[in-house]
Amino acid sequence: MSLSKRIIKETQRLAEDAVPGISAVPHDDNLRYFDVTIDGPSQSPYEGGVFKAELFLPDDYPMTPPKIRFLTRIYHPNIDRLGRICLDVLKSNWSPALQIRTILLSIQALLGAPNPDDPLANDVAQAWKQDEQAAIQTAREWTEKHAKP
Amino acid sequence: MKFGHVFKETLRNEGFPSDWVNSAISYSQLKKCINRLASELAQVGLDPATLGTLLKQVEDYNASTQKDDDDRDRPFEYILSGDDSPSLPKEQRKPFHPKLLFYVDEKTGEVHSAKLAEDTRSKLQMLAVATGVSQLRVFEEPDNHSMGSEESTETRSPPNELNTVNGIRKRPGFRTVEIPLTSDTEFFATLTNQLSGLEALQEKEEKRMHAQIEELGKQVAHLTDPERRNNKKLVPVWRQIFQIYVESSIFFGTTERDHEAHDADKAGERFLEFSDKIAKEGLVDKFKKAENVNALNAFMHINREILQGLRFGEINHVAMLKILKKFDKQTALGVKSTVPTYIVFPEFSSHLAKAVCASVSSQIITHVPLLDDYSCPMCMELKWRPVRLRCGHVFCIRCLIVMQTNKQHRCPLCRELTVVDANAGNLDLELAEFLKRWFPDEVKAKQKYNELMAGVDQYGEVYKEKCSVM
Ligand SMILES: [Zn+2]
Ligand SMILES: [Zn+2]
Repeated sequence: MSLSKRIIKETQRLAEDAVPGISAVPHDDNLRYFDVTIDGPSQSPYEGGVFKAELFLPDDYPMTPPKIRFLTRIYHPNIDRLGRICLDVLKSNWSPALQIRTILLSIQALLGAPNPDDPLANDVAQAWKQDEQAAIQTAREWTEKHAKP
Repeated sequence: MKFGHVFKETLRNEGFPSDWVNSAISYSQLKKCINRLASELAQVGLDPATLGTLLKQVEDYNASTQKDDDDRDRPFEYILSGDDSPSLPKEQRKPFHPKLLFYVDEKTGEVHSAKLAEDTRSKLQMLAVATGVSQLRVFEEPDNHSMGSEESTETRSPPNELNTVNGIRKRPGFRTVEIPLTSDTEFFATLTNQLSGLEALQEKEEKRMHAQIEELGKQVAHLTDPERRNNKKLVPVWRQIFQIYVESSIFFGTTERDHEAHDADKAGERFLEFSDKIAKEGLVDKFKKAENVNALNAFMHINREILQGLRFGEINHVAMLKILKKFDKQTALGVKSTVPTYIVFPEFSSHLAKAVCASVSSQIITHVPLLDDYSCPMCMELKWRPVRLRCGHVFCIRCLIVMQTNKQHRCPLCRELTVVDANAGNLDLELAEFLKRWFPDEVKAKQKYNELMAGVDQYGEVYKEKCSVM
């Protein structure tokens, strides 16, 4: 299937008008598949970490949202062991007017504001609710261990 | 190289019009004022080293005890002017009337230093005596509201209350003594004069350029009028030029990382990139007729003028800051930080460039609608044929069909339930006419694509394969 004008435009803008702390580069042999990195937001336990993710645009994009998954291990109540993300705009709240850049921004924001009441990783959310300070400390350690280049 | 020299060279070599050069800050004239002022001060024993020492004594004391609550510890003050607020229109602003004031104890004649430690005070007193401050032929401040310097001779101010007259603080038990100086008044009069000259020049230039832009705007409108048959091939060329122009964001950044007004260097760089790109695309060669080439030249010329205005404003601003720095170096009066609160430097960058750029886009570029402003928010192609939903948002008909088939009932932009009940009645015929007139090629291509996809909807993917063979 040929690449839509929309995907071409989005890819161009991602390169030319990059969002600080976020990169998304398409594969040479599959322009629907992107290597993504997201810098951990400052003042969060992920600060200083660079988190890798993969992003794929399904055939019916933008009718359906991009599929995205963290590759770097991360201790976060809304991201599970497989790197899957629990974020409303990636599911029920997706709108075809949203774009790759807006989605990545939402994910970066999610790193800055974990939401243990809407968990994907149940054990992490549990730990987060029981002892937030300890959980944050663990998140920091994981960042140090897995997300430092 | 000395700045005065660099400034002169820049004014000469940058190709500024002669009336600009004549309105530039006259650095050397102001420098002479400073030299005269320095010798006036030296005559009364206040060379910069002495003034500096006096000032530093006080500052050191304040810093050591963190008691820098106000400047009442200062033995002297240099007041630029009481009521020249920059918020007033410039006709109402009074010229600068700077005063160098010392505070001297009424009875002892000591320099004011109420909160100073005994030994600091005596040092100050020694300094004052040593440099002849106490033997100065001094004037007392008049108590009336007149600012005329002729009257400011032998009247006495009431010593028993702390109040303010003409912005000058009166202190109980102290006489305010003004050191008679004339070159500083001259300096500031010259400077303000030149600044208002620059402001007037800017206003004049802005008017002139607006007229030029309006004229060119009319020309471009004529050259790109889609009703004229000869223009058919030219509209896309102009569109491409303006598209590149907008994307070059020459004078103002438009990206996440760069969203500020550019300085002359950066804008110049961007302008070069813009011209290079146009050259590389061979767009000028596509203009067969001279009238198009001339219009493009006029457009480039206007941009070069904005650039020059930026550059001129910048070097004058630098010249002003440099001369104030020199003033302080030779007098230790600390005006570099106080003057900018009294005067507004006429910024070519923020006034001229902004205003002129705005009219470039509203008067010239606007004549050629750009594709980005008429692309569908979903497929990002031309929104053909345009369907206006009840919420007011417009999509191409293909995307509407895709949304309806996928049960996307809500508008992707506002999430209103306006997709579900849209039908042929929602076609925006007026916009359709407009798109057909301005984007005939894009309309054709999109029409073909839409028809192809409708076929696919009906007969499946195999339809596409068959079609592409034909
Ligand atoms: Zn569309
Ligand atoms: Zn809407």
